Amino acid sequence: MSDPNVLKILQDAGIDVLSCMQCGTCSGSCPSGHYTILNTRRLVRKARKNKDMLHDDDLWMCATCYNCQERCPRGIKIVDAILSIRTIAVHEGIMLPEHRAVSQFMLEYGHAVPINDATKVMREGLGLELLPETVHKYPDALEDVKTLLRSCEFDKLVKD
Amino acid sequence: MRIGVYICHCGLNIANVINIDTLRKKTEELADVAIVSDIQFMCSDFGQDSIVEDIKKHDIDRVVVAACSPRLHEQTFKRVLEKAGLNPYLLEIVNIREQDSWVHMDDPQMATQKAFDLTRMGVAKARLLVPLKNKIIKVNKDVLVIGGGVAGIEAALNLADSGFHVYMVEKEPTIGGKMSLLNEVFPTNDCSICVLAPKMTDVQNHLNIELFTFSEITGITGSVGDFQIKGVKKPRYVSEDKCKGCVEECARVCPVEISNPFDFGLGKAKAIYMPIPQAVPQVVCIDSKYCVGCGLCKQACPADAIDYDQKEEQVSFSVGAIIVATGYQLFDATRKEEYGYGIYPDVITNMELERMLNASGPTRGKVVVPSSGEIPKRIAFIQCVGSRDATVDNPYCSRVCCMSAIKNAQLLKERYPDTDITIHYIDIRASGEMYEEYYERTQSMGIDFIRGKVAEVTEDRQGNPMLRFEDTLECEICEESYDLVVLSTGMEANEDDGVSRLLNLARRTDRFLSIAHPKMRPVDSHVNGVFIAGCASGPKEIQVAIAQGGAAASRVVRLLNKGELETDPLSAHVDSDKCIGCKICEDVCKFGKIHVVDKKAVVDEISCRGCGACSAACPEEAICMRNYTNEQILAQVHAALEVKDEFPLIVAFLCNWCSYACADLAGTSRIQYPTNVRIIRTMCSGRIDPSFVLSALKEGADGVLVAGCRLGECHYLHGNYNAKHRMHALEGVLEDIGLSPKRLKVEWISAAEGERFAKSIESFVDDLKELGPIGSEILENSR
Repeated sequence: MSDPNVLKILQDAGIDVLSCMQCGTCSGSCPSGHYTILNTRRLVRKARKNKDMLHDDDLWMCATCYNCQERCPRGIKIVDAILSIRTIAVHEGIMLPEHRAVSQFMLEYGHAVPINDATKVMREGLGLELLPETVHKYPDALEDVKTLLRSCEFDKLVKD
Repeated sequence: MRIGVYICHCGLNIANVINIDTLRKKTEELADVAIVSDIQFMCSDFGQDSIVEDIKKHDIDRVVVAACSPRLHEQTFKRVLEKAGLNPYLLEIVNIREQDSWVHMDDPQMATQKAFDLTRMGVAKARLLVPLKNKIIKVNKDVLVIGGGVAGIEAALNLADSGFHVYMVEKEPTIGGKMSLLNEVFPTNDCSICVLAPKMTDVQNHLNIELFTFSEITGITGSVGDFQIKGVKKPRYVSEDKCKGCVEECARVCPVEISNPFDFGLGKAKAIYMPIPQAVPQVVCIDSKYCVGCGLCKQACPADAIDYDQKEEQVSFSVGAIIVATGYQLFDATRKEEYGYGIYPDVITNMELERMLNASGPTRGKVVVPSSGEIPKRIAFIQCVGSRDATVDNPYCSRVCCMSAIKNAQLLKERYPDTDITIHYIDIRASGEMYEEYYERTQSMGIDFIRGKVAEVTEDRQGNPMLRFEDTLECEICEESYDLVVLSTGMEANEDDGVSRLLNLARRTDRFLSIAHPKMRPVDSHVNGVFIAGCASGPKEIQVAIAQGGAAASRVVRLLNKGELETDPLSAHVDSDKCIGCKICEDVCKFGKIHVVDKKAVVDEISCRGCGACSAACPEEAICMRNYTNEQILAQVHAALEVKDEFPLIVAFLCNWCSYACADLAGTSRIQYPTNVRIIRTMCSGRIDPSFVLSALKEGADGVLVAGCRLGECHYLHGNYNAKHRMHALEGVLEDIGLSPKRLKVEWISAAEGERFAKSIESFVDDLKELGPIGSEILENSR
């Protein structure tokens, strides 16, 4: 495994975690952190110190609601930072089994959460068409999506 | 023409590196040079006297001094010329110490050669020098103080006591400003109005102060020593002469109840009201927006002071100087929606708390929960509301809110010992005298401090405000309910910028008024004769605002005391025969000191600061900068390149304030760099006409360095930005004519970056060596 420089990658993406003053507006504003172990402020602190954080479970607890980023008094792109760090982690092969499973759905159906029979029944009850206007309805388009995913080697990335 | 050239040994400082004999002999051969002498220490009394004698004896009419930096001894040698009966502006100083002997210690041969080049450049400029005269103008000794807050009051009283006649203009119906509304003030907890009111009364009673309240400035023209001021006195519908200030009589009968603007929406007032009990003047005011014209107050007034027909009154007068003390505005807390101000009744601002704590405020000093009227049992302060916050465009710290929250927490605890008080902060800033001790005392009183900016305020099930935040020291996400939440709202620059527009004052990126130098000139504006005191130039506590009021007053005394001003002749001057009235110069001058009148540009030569940005912009070369004329600069360029004695040869145009000073610093720090550069000094990088650069390249310079102050730090505000745009455009021109744009190097450098200056010369020399002599790229391309 290589040793990616998280701070540098963030800086190159125009995300300035160095200016964080650790005020805690992000963590206080975080709906997920209210119920989980996620502490956004500490994630930013770790990124700032360029600490190894790719194995942290809380990296995956963010629901990307952008509340913290909206409120950050220093204008730091916090969610963008978390997403970038996740990308680094995945490229390093660090990924939860659940996420790998979801990615397999993506490869197979073009959806992380594909439609199931229960949903179809609900749709019918609401007077909607059985299938939504997505790749579910258009098999040719699904093939295109699969081609796209393969060509960017998504399949290799999420392989067990 | 008989030019005398005087070369200083400066002990061994110069003579140890530069061969003075060679330099003297070569200089003697230059045209128009009548005499060359070398002196051990030219700045000594003996050295100065010998030049005076020499000038007289040899009938010298121009003087070139080759010695240390002109920034050190230009004034000294100007006085020498005056002593000898010569016009002091017929002097040119050649810097062979800081910019030669001290930076080329290992290369005496080339240092000597460079010294000769520099001397030849100095002589070339000296040939074109003309005598200039300082103008003396009579000034008006009256002073205008805009704003009657504590800073303005301090300034006005200082001036009035020093014998100056002061006009004070205040837009509210009373003077006293924000300080008059506060309860008690840190770090001594003395009653704010008790210490301020006597000063307010002094203003009104002082024979040297003419006070205009409820008035606004509408026009300012003229310049230092003679500003013409126009203003309006708004009608208060009450005769100031007749009103006795008994207010009870008229307000009692007034049927219209309004929310008191001086209580920030908390208390009630009548449509005829006294702003605060200690108002100066003690005159009531009718709010015409709400008055129904029933006439009851007119009947009730025992002094017959009510006058519904009062009209706006125009005033005009002249002054010699202006002090801007227009203060600040409070951050509008509704802009931070997540804190629920204006939504939840029990979320209030610090100013509202001040009014409640105030014995003459809306609750007569009782602090209550607005929704219930009860004394609060739990109170939270939220710090940094609208400060240190990029989301509301206020990245700065408001400086007083920490201390003010700490102070109010103390007062609350003293009055209501059973109340729990928590201050939610990011960082506590208690850095004034006795502030840290004050903070510590507050902690000892049992006030809790929680580190972590509050994320949001919601309502709990009982309808109490509930804070959500992270206690960052505990790493714990918390929710706490309180009875009362106080938002420590910060200070903002006044949105109403009428005065600063009239005066053409610059604003910083934080929107507060910009001062002439962030350290060295704390109360000077960029406009001659205009000074700034108090929070108009940024958040300040009371003691600093008072210090600035006093400082601004003493700056005015220094300026006007003699009753006359001596003006520097180094201003821009328009040749009206050449001027085509294109107005480009008007646009370039950020001080507004050049205007086109009857299709010809006219410079306000008294207020012109002499940066020369207009001159470089003029397409007709109609604007001449005295002592830095196009001809003089081009003569220096020509002399530098007359004999090309080095490769690469660089001509550098450096601004007086930062880049030239920084080259001097490289010298005083003995930082060595290559000898290849010939420096020409201008007052500002904005003076550097692209044609100077082109001339230098045409005459054989291999490269040209243009350097100014760091962007945002120009001594003339925007001069270096002018230079930046011009040089950027010039790079394109160089490319068009087939020259590498790398031959032009542009640097923004502070006076403290001597090392960087030396490095930049080094790297430029390397780059130019790689490029080859000037024109080699054209040859290569044509092959």
